Amino acid sequence: MMLTLLLTPALFMFLVSFLRNENAKYLLALSSFVILFPIVDLFTFVKPYAILGTYLVADKLDTYVLLVSSIVGIGVTLALFTMDKHVTVSPKAYRKFYRFFAIFWIGLIFSILSNHMGIYWIGLELATLSTVYMIKTNHTPAAHKEAWNYMIVGAIAVSLILFGIILMYASAKPILGEEAMQFDLLLKHAKEIPSPFLFEIGFAIATIGMFVKMGFFPMNLWLANIERSSFYPVAALFSGILESAVVIGFFRFSQIAMEVNYNNLFIFVFIYTILTIFIVSFLIYRAKDFMRLFSLSGIEHMALIVLFWVSGSPFAALLHFGAHAFLKPALFLSTGVLETNGKFKMAGALRGYTGKRGKIFLFLVSLFLLAIISLPPSPMFFSELYGFGAMINTAKGSDHMLGMIGAVLFLLILLSIIFYRFVSIYQSMRYEGEARSRKVYAGELFALILFAVSLVALMLPNTLHYLKTVI
Amino acid sequence: MILYLLTVVLLILIAPILLSYIKATKMVLFFKRPISLMQGYRNFTKLLKKETIISEETSAITRYAPFLVLSPLLVTVFFLPPIVGGAYYVSFVDAFTITGLISLSTFFLMILGLDSASAFGGMGSSRESFISALVEPAMVLTIFSVSLMADNLGVGQAGVNLVAHFPKEHMASYLFAGISFFILLIAENGRIPVDNTETHLELTMVHEAMILDLTGVYLAIIETASSIKFVIFASLFASLFMPFGLEFIAPIAFVIFVLKLFIIATAVAIFEVNTAKLRIFKIPNLLGLAIVFAFLSLITFYVLGA
Amino acid sequence: MVDFLIGLFLASLIAALFTTRLYGLLFWYSMNSLMLGLLALGIGINIDDKAMLLTGVVTILIKAIGIPYVLKNLSHKFNFARQIVSGIKMQYSIMLVPIILVFTFYLSVPIVDMIHTNANYVAISISSLFLSLLLIMEHSDVVPKIIGFLALENSLFLLGTTATNGMPMLVELGIFFDLLMAIVVINLLFHKEEMKI
Repeated sequence: MMLTLLLTPALFMFLVSFLRNENAKYLLALSSFVILFPIVDLFTFVKPYAILGTYLVADKLDTYVLLVSSIVGIGVTLALFTMDKHVTVSPKAYRKFYRFFAIFWIGLIFSILSNHMGIYWIGLELATLSTVYMIKTNHTPAAHKEAWNYMIVGAIAVSLILFGIILMYASAKPILGEEAMQFDLLLKHAKEIPSPFLFEIGFAIATIGMFVKMGFFPMNLWLANIERSSFYPVAALFSGILESAVVIGFFRFSQIAMEVNYNNLFIFVFIYTILTIFIVSFLIYRAKDFMRLFSLSGIEHMALIVLFWVSGSPFAALLHFGAHAFLKPALFLSTGVLETNGKFKMAGALRGYTGKRGKIFLFLVSLFLLAIISLPPSPMFFSELYGFGAMINTAKGSDHMLGMIGAVLFLLILLSIIFYRFVSIYQSMRYEGEARSRKVYAGELFALILFAVSLVALMLPNTLHYLKTVI
Repeated sequence: MILYLLTVVLLILIAPILLSYIKATKMVLFFKRPISLMQGYRNFTKLLKKETIISEETSAITRYAPFLVLSPLLVTVFFLPPIVGGAYYVSFVDAFTITGLISLSTFFLMILGLDSASAFGGMGSSRESFISALVEPAMVLTIFSVSLMADNLGVGQAGVNLVAHFPKEHMASYLFAGISFFILLIAENGRIPVDNTETHLELTMVHEAMILDLTGVYLAIIETASSIKFVIFASLFASLFMPFGLEFIAPIAFVIFVLKLFIIATAVAIFEVNTAKLRIFKIPNLLGLAIVFAFLSLITFYVLGA
Repeated sequence: MVDFLIGLFLASLIAALFTTRLYGLLFWYSMNSLMLGLLALGIGINIDDKAMLLTGVVTILIKAIGIPYVLKNLSHKFNFARQIVSGIKMQYSIMLVPIILVFTFYLSVPIVDMIHTNANYVAISISSLFLSLLLIMEHSDVVPKIIGFLALENSLFLLGTTATNGMPMLVELGIFFDLLMAIVVINLLFHKEEMKI
C-alpha cells in the first residue's frame, strides 16, 4: 500500500511526460511535489516499518535520507520552471528530462528504502542509467561525450559494487542461505560470518565502486567534467540525491563491516578519504569556474561524511550529509543565474543584482557560500566539530593518539586552504569585475528559499534529537 | 614391436593422402571438382622421374639439406605416442626433444632457402625464422602443460596416461592447451592464415619461397617432409587431445586413429576456407594468442588445478 | 563439463580481446554469453535449481541472441567503422594478458580456500572481470567499450552463478531489467548522435 503511494507520483510523472501539451509542465512539477507527501507520511510511522516484506523496510536512517532527497527534488523542480530563461532547452528535451527524472525517482526509492543488497543495487543502477540521459538533454558535443563517459565509468563503478555484493553474499550464504542479502540479518549475524576475509574483500571492492561514483581519489575530475557540461539542475540532482543513494549504501555496508573488523575498515577508509581531501583541496584551489568548484567541494564534503561515519559519529555524518544535501543543490541552482551572462567568469558574478528579488538572491547566495565553508552558524560547523571530536575519541586510549591528532591537524590545514579559496572567490565575486545587470526569476528564488528554510530546520533541537537517535 | 613399426609405416604412408584430402575438401567446399586422394603419390612419382637440376650458384648445402630436412622429422615419427594399446613406444622423449627435432628440420630448410640462387629464398627464410621463433615457446608450453596433466613429461607416456585417465578435473586448462595446439598446427604447417602453399605470389609465400629452386628428387623429398610434418602434428593432436580408442584391438584402433586424422584434416580445411590470409606482420597476433593460451593453460593448471 | 564451459568462457573473452573486427567482437561476446547460459543450465541441472535454469534460458535469449543482434542492427543503421583499433599494441597486450591472469589467480588463492563449492571459478571470474576492464581500456571507440561493459556484467554473473550457486531470483531478474534499460539508454544516445549530424 505504502509502496503504491510512493511510486504513484513517479509513474504519473512518467506518463504525463508523454503529453505534448504546453501545460503538461505544471502537471509534471505537481507530480514531483506530491512525492513529498507519502514520504512525510512514512516519516511519522513507527520504525522499522515493513513496506514490502523484508525487501523494503523503512527505518530512521533511510526515511531521513529520503526526506532530504525529496526536498531537494522539489527545489530542483522549482528551478526547472525557469530553466529555459537561462539556457536553451527544447520542450521535447524538457519532457524527456522529466521522463528520466521519473525513472530516476523509482530507482532511488527502491535503492534508499531497500533492506536487501540486491534491490539496493538494482535501484542504484536504474538511477545511474536514467541520469545518463538527463546529461544528454543539453545538446552540445561536450554533453554528448560526457554522457558516454558517465555511462561507461558509472556502469563500471556500479558493476564493482555488484561484484562486492556478490562476494559479501557468498561469505554469509553458508549461515544465512538466500537471506544473506538482507542488511538487518547480516548486521545481526555479522560476528558469525564464516569467512570474514571474503566479506572484507567484497566490502573493499564495493566501497571502491561507491567511492568512484562519488568522485573520490583517483577519479576526482570525472564528476566535475560531467556537471560542467550538463545543465545545472542535473548537477543539483547529482550532488543532492544520487550521492545520497550511494552514501546510504556505504552507511549500511560499513555498519556490517564495522562489526566484522573495525580496524581494517577504519584504516582503509581513513587513508582513502584523507588522500581524496588532500588532492581535492588543491584542485579546488585551481578551479576556474563555479560548476567545477562546487563539484569538487562536493567531493570534499562526501569524503568528510564518510570519514565521520566510520569514526563512529553517525550524528556528525548525518548532520553534515543533510547540510550538504541542501547547500550544494542550492549553490548549483544559483550557478544557473550566476553564469547566465559572462559564462565562467567568477569576478563580479555577485554584482549587478537590483530590485527586491536581486537583493534576496544576493543575500541567499552569500549565505550559502559562507555556509558551505562551515562558518559558525552553519550546521556544517557543528557537524565538523562533532566529527573531529569523534575522530579523536576513536584514537583515545590507543597508541595512535598522536597520529590521529596529526591527521586532524592535517585535515584542518587542507580545509583551511579550501576556506581561504572560497573567501577569496567570494570577495572577487562581490567587489571585482564589472557589474552586469542580471535577472532572477521567481522559480529559482523559491528553490533557494526552500533550501534555506530546510537548512534552518536542520538546526532545530527536534531534528538534532532525531539525528542523534538514528543509530 | 611389430605394431610399433606398422604405426610408423602407416603414418608415413598416410601423410601425402592427408594433404591431398585437405586440398580435395577445400575444392569441394569451393564447388570445384576435387582432386584424387592419391594426388600426393602421383606428384611424388612424377617428381622422381623428372631431371634434377641444381643451380650453379649454390654450394654443397643444397645437395645435403633436403635429406637433413627430412631426417629429423622421420626420427620424430618414431617418438610419437602409440595408437594401439599394448604397442611398443618410446616413453622418455619430452616436449623439448620433439620441438627441437622439428626446429632442426626447419633450420635446415632455412639454410636451404639462404643457399638458393634466387632472392626469394632469403626472404622466405627470414619469414620462416620469424614464424618459427614464435611457434616454439607456445609449443613447448602446450606440450608441457598436457604432459603435466598426464603426470608424465614423456610425450609417449603422456599419450598413454591420458587414455587411461582422461583429465576431467583439468578440463579448463586442457581446453586452453587444445586451442593453442590447434593454432600451432595451422601456423607451423603453413596453412592459410599464416601461409598459403598453393600460390607463388612473392608478397605472401613463406614455405614456397625457400624451395623455389628445387627440382626433381630434392623437391619430392621436401614435399614429403612437409606432409610428414603435418602428420606429426595431426598425430600429436589426435593422441594428446582426442585420447580414446587405444583399448580396442589393433585393426579397429588403426581405423579409429585414421578417422581422427581425417577429422583433424577436415577441421583444418574448413578453417582454411573460412579465413583470409593474414598480413605477415599480423601473424604475431595469431601466434601471440597461441602463446597466451598455452601460458594460460599452464598457470590455470598450476595455480588453480582446474 | 562445467570446467570445459568455463574454459570456453575465458577463451572467448580472450579472443574478443584480440579481435580487430566489430562483428568478430560481437560474435565472441555472443559466444561468451552462450557459455555463461549453458553453464547456468548445467549447474542448475546439477543442483536441481529451477531459478538457475530460468536464468540460463534468459541469459541465452537476451545476452547471446538479443543484445548482439540489436548492436549489429545499430551498427548497420549508424555506419560504425567495422575495423576496431586497439589502443594498446598487440605485443603489449600479449604480455599484459598473462600478467593479469597470473596476478588475479594468485589474488584469489585465499578466496579459493574459503569457498568450497566451485572454488576455481571464482578465480576465473575475477580474472575475466579484469580482462573485461582491459577490453574497455584498450579501445577508444564506443561499441567495444559497450561490449566490455557487457562482458563485465557477464563475469559478474559468472561469479554470482558459481561462487554462491546462484543469487536470489529477484536480484537476477532485476539485473536483467537493468541491462535492458542500459540497452535502451545506449540506443537513445546513438539516436541523438544521428540527430546532431
